[in-house]
Amino acid sequence: MAEDKAAAILTALGGGNNIVEIEPCITRLRCEVEDGSKVDEAGLKAAGAHGVMQQGTVVQVVVGPEADTLSGDIEDLL
Amino acid sequence: MSAVVGSPVDGRAGPLSGVDDPVFSQQMVGPGMAVTPGGGRGDAVAPIAGTVATLHPHAFVITAAGGASVLVHLGIDTVKLKGEGFALHVAKGDIVEAGQPMVTWDPTEVEAHGYSAVCPVVVLEVEAEALGDFREAGAVTAGEPLFSVRE
Repeated sequence: MAEDKAAAILTALGGGNNIVEIEPCITRLRCEVEDGSKVDEAGLKAAGAHGVMQQGTVVQVVVGPEADTLSGDIEDLL
Repeated sequence: MSAVVGSPVDGRAGPLSGVDDPVFSQQMVGPGMAVTPGGGRGDAVAPIAGTVATLHPHAFVITAAGGASVLVHLGIDTVKLKGEGFALHVAKGDIVEAGQPMVTWDPTEVEAHGYSAVCPVVVLEVEAEALGDFREAGAVTAGEPLFSVRE
């Protein structure tokens, strides 16, 4: 289940090739992406994100306290 | 049953809506209050008794026996300080008492780096209705009640 969520978030962030860096911070994933236009905000919310904040290539995905676990699962997929 | 959530620091209590970070101001991860620290280097204390569920230099989560998870975030965007100036006194998994020192830090130094030192105190992933008895905005001493949470 958790792996599915990680995969859905990764897809909505534009896939593994679009990720420059991903870092968990308690309640959110702080991501830097190659191409900000590939980020699918609706897709992130469909994957369970409480909120998404994007400024250019920096995307914060608010996922709640499971951010640490999810980040690890996403790293495993990269 | 309800549990009291205390202030982690001395300062001024206020609503989360005044915090300059939508994750907290829009209560994306849960309801709570914010405390703007009043002084220089000092301890942030546990807002509730429980188990240290998550621990970073700039933030921690304590899960109380009744199930409520309380997040204290020391300043906004302070993850970027990478722990500099924060000294931890507990470890993940430790059982702590309310009021026990968790982290020594310096809000003035955080502000000198250009960050807000405001401390959101949030109960994770509960509805706003789970909280009550909110303290009136104004001066608060570490350990004094901010609000209660129904468990």
